[in-house]
Formats: sequence, structure tokens, C-alpha cells
Amino acid sequence: MSKIKHLQKLLETKEITCIELTERYLQNIERQNKVINAYINVTAEEALETAKKVDERIAAREKLMPLEGIPMSLKDNISTKGIETTCCSKMLQGYYPIYDATVWETLKNQNSVLLGKTNMDEFAMGSSCETSIFGVTLNPHNTDYVAGGSSGGAAASVKGNMAVYGIGSDTGGSIRQPASFCGLVGFKPTYGTVSRYGVVAYASSLDQVGPITDSVEDAAIIYDCLSSYDPKDSTSVGSKISTRDKIKDGIKGMKIGIAQEFFEGISKDIKTSLEEAIKVYQDAGAQIIHFEMPKLNAVLPAYFIISCAEASSNLGRYDGIRYGYKTDSYKDINEMICKNRSEGFGKEVQRRILLGTYALSSGRYDAYYKKAQNLRYSIIQDFKKIFESCDIILTPSVPVTAYKKGKALVDPIEIYMMDICTVPANIAGLPAVSVPCGFDKNNMPIGMQLIGNSFEDYKVLNAAYQFEKLTKKTGVSYTGPEVEI
Amino acid sequence: MSYELVAGLETHIELSTKTKIFCQCTTEFGGEPNTHCCPICMGMPGTLPKLNKKVVEYAVKAGLATNCKIRNISKMDRKNYTYPDLPKAYQISQFDKPICYEGFIKLSSGKNIRINRIHIEEDAGKLIHERGDTYIDYNRGGVPLIEIVTEPDFRSIDEVHEYLEKLRLIMKYIGVSDVKMQEGSLRCDVNISARKKGEEEFGTRTEIKNMNSLNFIAKAMEYEFGRHVDILESGGKIEQETRRYDSALNITESMRGKEDADDYRYFRDPDLVNIIVSEEEIKKLKDELPQLPDEKLDIFINEYGLPKDDAELLIKYKKIAEYFEEASKDIKNKKLISNYILSQIFRRMPTDSDKEECSISLPPEYLKELISLLENKKINSSMASNALEKMLDTGKPVSEFISQKDMQGIDEDTLREICMRAVTENKDAVDSYLGGKEKAFGSIIGYIMKETKGKADPQKAGEIVREIIKSF
Amino acid sequence: MHGYRAAIKRSSYKIEVGERMLTKEEVLRIAKIAKLSVKDDEVEQLIKDMSTIIDYADAINSVVEDSELEFDDINNIANAFNEDIVLESYDRDEILKNREGGEKGYFVVRKSLRG
Ligand SMILES: [Mg+2]
Ligand SMILES: [Zn+2]
Repeated sequence: MSKIKHLQKLLETKEITCIELTERYLQNIERQNKVINAYINVTAEEALETAKKVDERIAAREKLMPLEGIPMSLKDNISTKGIETTCCSKMLQGYYPIYDATVWETLKNQNSVLLGKTNMDEFAMGSSCETSIFGVTLNPHNTDYVAGGSSGGAAASVKGNMAVYGIGSDTGGSIRQPASFCGLVGFKPTYGTVSRYGVVAYASSLDQVGPITDSVEDAAIIYDCLSSYDPKDSTSVGSKISTRDKIKDGIKGMKIGIAQEFFEGISKDIKTSLEEAIKVYQDAGAQIIHFEMPKLNAVLPAYFIISCAEASSNLGRYDGIRYGYKTDSYKDINEMICKNRSEGFGKEVQRRILLGTYALSSGRYDAYYKKAQNLRYSIIQDFKKIFESCDIILTPSVPVTAYKKGKALVDPIEIYMMDICTVPANIAGLPAVSVPCGFDKNNMPIGMQLIGNSFEDYKVLNAAYQFEKLTKKTGVSYTGPEVEI
Repeated sequence: MSYELVAGLETHIELSTKTKIFCQCTTEFGGEPNTHCCPICMGMPGTLPKLNKKVVEYAVKAGLATNCKIRNISKMDRKNYTYPDLPKAYQISQFDKPICYEGFIKLSSGKNIRINRIHIEEDAGKLIHERGDTYIDYNRGGVPLIEIVTEPDFRSIDEVHEYLEKLRLIMKYIGVSDVKMQEGSLRCDVNISARKKGEEEFGTRTEIKNMNSLNFIAKAMEYEFGRHVDILESGGKIEQETRRYDSALNITESMRGKEDADDYRYFRDPDLVNIIVSEEEIKKLKDELPQLPDEKLDIFINEYGLPKDDAELLIKYKKIAEYFEEASKDIKNKKLISNYILSQIFRRMPTDSDKEECSISLPPEYLKELISLLENKKINSSMASNALEKMLDTGKPVSEFISQKDMQGIDEDTLREICMRAVTENKDAVDSYLGGKEKAFGSIIGYIMKETKGKADPQKAGEIVREIIKSF
Repeated sequence: MHGYRAAIKRSSYKIEVGERMLTKEEVLRIAKIAKLSVKDDEVEQLIKDMSTIIDYADAINSVVEDSELEFDDINNIANAFNEDIVLESYDRDEILKNREGGEKGYFVVRKSLRG
């Protein structure tokens, strides 16, 4: 039984009250967050208030909504009315949104118990939470290691048993990579199925919200709640399919595509682990289809150009006039804006803004931005063709496993290379999930990525669920909330 | 050496939608600062725009009314620049695929001013500078605009003037904008250059930004053209730059040079989706367009036989033109109606905005009723004028002021009798008239009008009186 | 060595840092447009980082033809519209909530500020 279902059963049978459940999670946070640094803001009061409401509804024998009473966390780039939303940037410290993001509104309407806001790389730009002003998030699986990023806090909150699930955002792998590092399920849905309204934009055409959970079924439950059409988001499509029901379809006859390019240069441990996973599928009756993806190496730079270009525009609004960081000395408005931005943004954010500005600037647009968009178009066509003969594509989630804290990467290219497997799904707007598939020689989790065709999120989750069932490598054996690291 | 002016215009017109372009805040002018705002038009982190459907319809209508082609698939782009009145640091606009393109407006001379494009965009907020501090009101931020860009087809300030008047009138007629210049709902950037007469090549141009009065535009252009000519005459070179007009000093001054020109880094706004306007929709919008001012003018002059000047006065205000059309329906002598409107009725609407609103309470049908009595000689013109005054005061129909009996008028025998009496009882006046004083004649007629309670036709009475005096 | 470093080495394109070195002027011009002030001691590193990434971006050229179509919208949706119906705006106190120092309902930027 999945964690959400299990806990709701405990609530409904009154084995535990929602207040007790919430308090236990708050205690876990109290005990571990100092070390792990998953949360940058714990909203205990709001959480207990909601829990009280849930207990009252249970007492009145009301039927619980799918996510009702479940303690969870939100990445700090999701706007929460009246609750500070900083994107882990000095720029937004002390910023209190005056409206709710649609995802949070949906969860709130379900009486979700918000435990707090989780750590992330500044404005989601990074893969280890190291660019956060609140510092790095450690991996609860082994605290010598980083949790990954940018939704590192979200993953750590779940892995550290400080939340049942975390909501993160994924622009180039920011949900899947930390999920992979922490040994969790991280799901990036099809672009347009979950509303972006209220999620502080990094790169609008790539950003997508999704859950980090410790089982596929939980991810499906959460996705079903969040994937509805939002009139506030022009790019919203929503989804009417109940993924939760569809994930139990089985995989007999499923066609799984594999491209060698995704496996280039990965470590032996990861390779072995994935080969075993492929065998699990084959044994269960899936068919493996090999295809080629010669443009993969160009996807990453294209991603980088597009994401930085959009970011340079999206982050232009932080001028310190209406909200946000304000310098204490300037000689005119222009200098004030420049100082607000230079002092308010961290180095990596500034670097990406500069790069994006360059890629869009006159005389450079055609060489960089337009080219990147051309490639994007052609990659989408390639995927379309691939999905004519495959149901899903199987790849490693990340070419590496979690690395040790303090071993921060300095070479920008090396940092960006980490996203090579995750980025194509963002570039093409496809659904993709990372599921745990083993451990490396240091006993750090290895993630397998399954990518599906647009709006076939259920196929991706189905394949992941079947794998989980066949290998019991994720939280299906979960028993209760009092797990320690 | 004589120089020729070459100019092109970029005109921003605020659309009269109820809500802003990407959120549902009101577009109402004024209001306490920052009270017509929401997270979306404030560009708060995480917010997303959604395009107001009416904006697309209005832009298409504007395009159709100016002979433009309409693009079936267009998109919105971001124009990136940082300024405190622009809360997102980019203006959502249209770059390479404007919704309308390749149109024209015909001037009275028959010359076409070519329109390069019409695109949709959002307005910025308002900055108020006081003692160096800057106060910002975002109420206007996100109000929808269309920008109408012409080719450099203007060769005189008069042409610019006529074009703008015409453009304004068209937008009003089709109902997409109130075009209230004092509220800044029409603003112009003028590109201007000078070249020697007869030369083919354009001179270096300068751009004068953001003017919102026809008068200022004319003055600024006059100044700037003069400046160009002076520089060229003295062998200098024009700097390509952006300038602003200082109305107090009546000069233009440099804002920024070419090297400081903004790099707008245009790219498709990923938060917005394609705008598709089908041929059917275009046709539907075309069918919704009212008769345009030029068509009306043509009909008024060539079908109704109105003098050109009169017709122009009538079409200058859409509601007046419509009032005229209503009132003159089934009336043969349209000029009669036009005359009453342009004199007596116009006096009741002294200001431009009165005329704009056609602010009289008299329904056009009542005017028609009155004029048809006059046309059918049931009443005479002085009766008509008198009655019209009362009708305008009260908004009531003619029957309230002129009875059936009054309308019967006076038969010729009675009139002759009264005229005879007028002559015999006003001997002095007759004498002075015969002595050459034209004025005295009027007092005789006045007597007759008084005796007949205004029912006599003064012209007819005059004829009879002259006859009587002659026969003495 | 991390596996992916090997991947970079083995991948079909090569990165030659400095091939398309940005100039200092170029970086400063971009910083000006982006409203970021770059300190003198940061310029060198920025030039290096940005040049590296830009060189790297040239990998796109090796696989994409100029004539290929440009991406526009992932899900091919069009015409997402609001109706022209006014909704109540936000309370001004809310709008101004995140910026202290407003005056008479305006946001205010002081002429200058000496710290
Ligand atoms: Mg414009
Ligand atoms: Zn608004």
C-alpha cells in the first residue's frame, strides 16, 4: 500500500489523528532539519490548523479527499499567499506573495497539511542546492552526500521522513535528479498538464511542476489531483485521464526504447543496474527496441541557451522597486536597479542572466537562440517518430550518483552535463519519471528514467509502477511515519 | 535650396476594452493610484498573462478599417527593457508577426498613406517626477494598445494632421477606441528627415517620441524639420537619435543617440499561445464594421446633395452623423435637416465632447417630424425654429408646441387683409421704407407676424406688403 | 573521475575553450543591458565561463540545418483567451505590501540614497 493510502487509512480508522500525524512529522523536522537543511521555512502553525480541520471532518464522518490530511512540503518557488516565498535568493527574502499558486490552491482545497517550504538552488538554477542562500541540502540517505537539486529540499524532506511527499519543479531535471540521488520517485509530467500559475518562472517553456514521493502510486495520486486545466495558465491543457487507475495495466507487450547515446560515459555501477532493470522488463514480457538519438549531444547546449534566454527575461522584473532586495546606497534609479540586482542575485543566477541576454542580443539571436529553437523543433520531431514504435524510452536518470558535500563542481560544462539525460524531456515537453533501480558501490541510490510520449503520463507511471512492484525497490514496503535515518 | 520633409508615424491607440490586455482589472482612466492593479498586471513573480479576446477582435477591426491584411496565425513577443514603469521589465508586444499588415489610409488628395503594420501590445504605468523622486502608478500598466506604423509616406505636416484626424475618426467609428487625446489614449512617435527636393534617397532620420496632441505634433515636426534643414544647409550631418519635444520651450531635445539605442532582445513570449483568426471570423468582424467616415462622406455629398463642408462637419462626430441619418430618413430635402443640425442644434452642443456624445435629449424622430411639417409647408420656417427651441428644451415632440389649428396656417385672403392693415396702421414705417430705409420694412413684417401669432409665412407676407405699397 | 567527465571526453564534439572568446567590452555591454554591474575582478572569470558555454553551444550548429523550422509551441494550442469582463482589482494595501516607503498610494523611488 502506498504511503498516502496507508496514512489516510490510519486517519479514517482513527488509529492516529491528523494532529498527531502532523506533530510527528514536525518532530522529525525538528530533529533532523538542522543537519539535512531540507526546509528553509517550517509552517508549523498553519499545518496544525489544517490538521485540526481535518480531524473535525473525520469526526463528522466526512469522506477524505485524495490528499486530505497528508503532511507535505512545497518548493520555495511556489507562491504561497502570506507565506514568505524566496526562491532561496537574497533577492526575494522578505517577499510575501499576495496570491496562491494554482497548485498550492488545489492542495489547500484538499486540506493538505503544509509543513513548510523547501530548499532549492537559487531561482532553481543549479543541481545541488549549493546556490541557495540557505546553503546546501544534505542527502538523508547518507548525509556525507548532497541531496541534489534544484528541488533538493523537496527530495530530502521526503527521504528524511519530514514530509509524505514534496512538490518540486523541473526545468531540466530538477525533480528527477534529486529524486535519483535520494532514491525516490520523481515525476515531471507532460508540459501543460500541471498549472504553472504562481510558480516563480525560471524558463517558462520548460518549467513543469511535479511530485517527489517514495512510491509511484503516490506520484500518480498527486498527479491526478494537480493535472487539471487551469484557466489562469494560457499553456495549460490539463489531463482527464485517471492515472491512478491506469498504472496497474501491466507491461506485457510494452515496447521500451533504448538509445545508446544516453548510456555513453555512465559509470559501471549505473550501467549494471540499468541492464538489470531492462532484464526485469524483458522477463515481464516487455519488448526492447533500440533506436538512435544522434542529436542528443546538441540538446544540452540548446537547453542551456533557451533556459538562460527565458530566464534573463523572466528575472528582469527583479529591480527592487515593487518588492525584493533593496540596496542602501545609490546615485540614481539606474544605479539603484543595477545594485539591487547585482547584490540581490547570486553569482550563478547572474551568470545565466548574462548568458541569456547575450544569446538574445542583437546580432547573436540567429546564431544562438534561433538555432537552439530550430534544434528543439527537430528534437520534438525525432521523439514523435520514436514514439511511433515505442511506448516509453528507458535511460539513466543522471549520468552519476550523488556526490559528496564540499565536492562542488566548478567547471560550468561539467555541472551542465549532469542534466544530459533529463533535459530532452523538458525540451520536448514529455512526461518523465525517475525511479530507484539500485545502488552504486558506495551504496548511493541509482535512478532509472522512463520517458513517455506527450499526454501519456499514465504509460510512464505504469511502467514505473510495474518495475517497483517487480523489484520492491521503493517504498511499497512502507509501514509507518516513525522512520529514522 | 528647398527641402522636402519626409515623415513616418507610429501611433499608439488605447483600445476601449473593459479590462486590461492580460488580466481582468478595469481599464478605466484615472482612479486612485495603484487601485486598478492585481498580481498579473503588477508582474508579480509566478503570474502569467492571458490575452483578452476583445483585444484581438478590436485589432482585427482596426486592420480591416484601414485596408490591412489580417494574419491568420500570429503570436505575442517580449520586448525586453528595464524601466520603472514596466513591472515585468518586458513589454508584451508583437515583433515579426503583427496581426495586421500592409494597409493604407487615403487622404482627401487621393494619396495613400501606407500602413506597414498594426500590432497589439500593453501600455506601461505612469511615472510622476517630483523634486527628483519618482512616484509610480501602475493603473495604466496593461491597458491594451494597438500600434499603427506607417511607411515614411508623409511629405507635409498637413498630411500628418489629416492622417491622424482620419485615423482617429476611423477608430471611433468602428468603436475600438475613444481616442481621447487629453487622456493620452492616442500617442505618436514621429520619424522625420529632410532631403533636397527632387532627390530620391531619404536623409538620416530622427525620432520624436511620445506626443499626445495634434498641435504639439505639428509644432514639434515644424521645429525638427527646421533643425534638419539648418544643419544640412550649414553642411552638417544629422545624428540618428531619439528626441523628445518640450512643449513649454517649443523645441526638441536629444534623449539618446544611436549607440545608446536599446537592445530589446525580442523573442516569442513562452507564456502565451498562438493567436489564430480564421477567415470566417475575419468575415464576421468585417460584417460587424459600421459604415466608415469616408463612405458616409461620399453618400452625404453625392447622394444627399450636401455641400462638402457641411457633410464633413456632420461626419466628424459619429453620433451626429448617425443622428442626421436617423432624422433625415424619408425626408427628401436632406439639406434642410443638415442645416438645422449644424446651426440650431449645434448651438446646444458647444463643446467637442458634447458633439462627440450628441448630448441633446431630442430624439431624431422628433426632428424628422418637425422637418417634414416644414417640408410639406404645414408650418413655416419661423414656426419651425421656435418649436425646435422648445423641443430642445424639453425633449418633447412637435405636437406639444404646434396644434393642428396652428398648422392650418392663414389663407391668402386673411393674410392680405392683415397686410393691408399693417400698411395703414404703420404709416411712419412705410414712409421711412419709401425713404430708403430697408430696416423699416422689417418692423412692418414684425407687426404681421405678431398679428398672426407667427403663423404667417414672412416671405409671402413681404411679397404682399411690397405689392400693396407699390399700388399706392 | 566522474563518469560524465569521461562522457564529455568521449562525446562526438570537442570543446576548445577560447575559440570564440568574448571581449571585455562585449561582456560589459551585455551586463549593462541586463542591469547587472560587473566588478573589474569578476570580468576575467565571466569572460572565461561565458566563452566556454558559447563555444559549447556551437555544438548545435553541427546537427541543425538553417532551413529547419523553428519551434513555436509544444502542445500546439492556440487562442487561450480571457473574456472582457472586469473582475475586482486587488486592495491597494496588498499591492503595496511588499515595498515599504510608499507614499499616497504610489510606489516611490527616491532620487538618490546615500548609505
Ligand atoms: Mg510599441
Ligand atoms: Zn490586473
